[in-house]
Amino acid sequence: MTDPRTIRIVIVDDHHMFRTGVRAELTTLAATPRAGAFTLEIAGEAGAVESAVKVITEQRPDVVLLDVHLPGGDGHGGADVIRACAGVQSGADVPVRFLALSVSDAAEDVIAVIRAGARGYVTKTISAEELLTAIGRVADGDAVFSPRLAGFVLDAFGATAGEVAEIDEELDRLSAREREVMRLIARGYQYKEVAKELFISVKTVETHVSSVLRKLQLSSRHELTAWAMGRRLL
Amino acid sequence: MVALARRVGQDGTVQTAYENGTGPARPAWRATPRPPLVRQRQGKVIAGVAAGLAEHLGVPVVAVRVVLVLTSIPFGAGLVVYVFLWATMREVGDVDPAVASTPTLSPAPGAPVADPATAGGATTPTTASTVRTQHHVDLAAMRTWLRSGNQAVVITLLGVAALAVAGALWLGGAGLDVHAELILPVVAIVIGAIFFWSQLDDTDAIGARRPVRWIWLVVGLGLTILGLVGLLVRGTKLTELWQVAGAVLAALVGVAVLSAPWILRLWSNLRLEQAARIRATERADIAAHLHDSVLQTLALIQRQSGDAATVARLARAQERQLRSYLYDEDARAGTLGAALTAAMGEVEDLHGVPVQLVVTGDRPMDEHLDALVKAVREATWNAVRHASPPVSAYVEVGPDAVEAFVRDHGAGFDLDTVPDDRAGVRESIIGRMERHGGTARIRRRADGTEVELRLPVRQPHEPEPAATTPAPPGAPAAPTAPGTTPSTTTGSTPDPETQEQAS
Repeated sequence: MTDPRTIRIVIVDDHHMFRTGVRAELTTLAATPRAGAFTLEIAGEAGAVESAVKVITEQRPDVVLLDVHLPGGDGHGGADVIRACAGVQSGADVPVRFLALSVSDAAEDVIAVIRAGARGYVTKTISAEELLTAIGRVADGDAVFSPRLAGFVLDAFGATAGEVAEIDEELDRLSAREREVMRLIARGYQYKEVAKELFISVKTVETHVSSVLRKLQLSSRHELTAWAMGRRLL
Repeated sequence: MVALARRVGQDGTVQTAYENGTGPARPAWRATPRPPLVRQRQGKVIAGVAAGLAEHLGVPVVAVRVVLVLTSIPFGAGLVVYVFLWATMREVGDVDPAVASTPTLSPAPGAPVADPATAGGATTPTTASTVRTQHHVDLAAMRTWLRSGNQAVVITLLGVAALAVAGALWLGGAGLDVHAELILPVVAIVIGAIFFWSQLDDTDAIGARRPVRWIWLVVGLGLTILGLVGLLVRGTKLTELWQVAGAVLAALVGVAVLSAPWILRLWSNLRLEQAARIRATERADIAAHLHDSVLQTLALIQRQSGDAATVARLARAQERQLRSYLYDEDARAGTLGAALTAAMGEVEDLHGVPVQLVVTGDRPMDEHLDALVKAVREATWNAVRHASPPVSAYVEVGPDAVEAFVRDHGAGFDLDTVPDDRAGVRESIIGRMERHGGTARIRRRADGTEVELRLPVRQPHEPEPAATTPAPPGAPAAPTAPGTTPSTTTGSTPDPETQEQAS
């Protein structure tokens, strides 16, 4: 409960106005006392791939809020930043975690940044509280899925068509439990609501979501990329 | 002259006729400027030269064709003119056919249809926008047959006719000083070239609009080579034929090798140029769209900046419109996803509360899905009016059923306390779903209400049974645990009084 830790974040977005807005919102919100709160320190900002890599390697933050579309690099935006920062560790000697933040609904953008290594994907319309929760979750090494991303996963892994993995380790399909978790997240449930619904602990929900994220990053399911190219999230 | 022009200009009636000021008033039928000399795509037989020429000159296309064919017979002059024009005339761009066929291309009611045997198909009546009553049915059928991609047949007809003419000249040429052994190979070369070029002509630079028919390329090449060989073996023995053929082939290969880099260079330049033009067009499209929608909305927002609700609504509506433009929603027209997006958009516009919609899978709309969309819309409408955001809708298209979940974060409501005259929930959601063989259930949760809808669907290829069947009662509609989370199904219980509400 009393976890007086500080999470250091870096905001990477090419829109100055957006960076300022997020910074103001998060600072205000993090200052107000909340249950299970952590303090937030905004260690830096960047507006392009090269400057982002520089700031991240210098500051070694816990979490990077990363825009999907960024100028510079090889033209892959956020995915370039994640690749360039591979191996950079935060102050706590764990890898720097990335939370993708985008207005884009294009599935190929999402899949690119997730497969590059982002721990989560949320849209920019997310409320400040939810964003703060997501930051905390990503800092703990868990995954953050928006309803859209959950719907995307269900679709891409053929879960809506009834494909279910026989064993949990199978990379190309979701297990039955993971499918249920994804469905509830797609329906707009928070993790704790999912936990209550399925009679499991929040930690177990987080485990399932992390496992889905791993499958999304590692799966060689042949449809995944082609599917993403031809569609966008709804 | 100047005074005349000014007077007419003030008059404002036939001003265009005087723009170039080249002379006195043109006749009335010349009031519009002469159409440009371009090859026509419509009503063409070979390459549209005759059609374009006829339009430019304002004479019936049949006359042009007859003249071309007639002048071709003695010395091939018409043919030379045709090929020259073919090479030099631009093909008409993507012009609106209504514009392309101006009234100057008048129908020729009494124009004689040339005998196909002598005219060789060039005058087969495929004239653009000429409507002849006497041969109406035949012409229509002929025209569709010709446009169905059988141009090669026409070309073959032309070729056979030309060969026949040449052969006739050869046989009867004892008196005339005609070298048949010269004419036949030349005719073969010309026909081969026509085959070859006709394919080239119909091919778009960036990706063929239709596949090139390689068979005609090969036939054309073969004819040309035969003609060349025929020209060269004139008077020599048959045994030397192979040597000559080899020499011709070697020459052709040499030309091909020498010209290949140039052609490739030209080709790539053309592609680059076309790509640039496409980009420019797209850019213009986007600019037009931005101007029409985004700038207008921004202007509205500035004017109403005091009214936060209106600003939010405008921004949200604009965002939706822009997304649909960017992600090409038009491509999904007529599917469940598109219908749901539109329905949610309506709800947002009416109430200004954003609705998060997630759809997995998709399928074409039918009347049952339409009912589902309406029920989802009603549930969302209730949520944005009576509950508090965030409101989310999730629709999953599975192989056996479409399931929809609408969730809000309000205080919830008790169906029993809703007056009977309020048709919203009972009629528009539950009743509607049941009429279409689906189920609806309303769950009240600790922090909001969730409406769950389930509609069994058949695979598109399966025949549709006459009566809609109710959903199987034990269908896994949602990952719920009925034992401990008291929720009610209304699928098989039409009487609303029996419904319980979870607390």
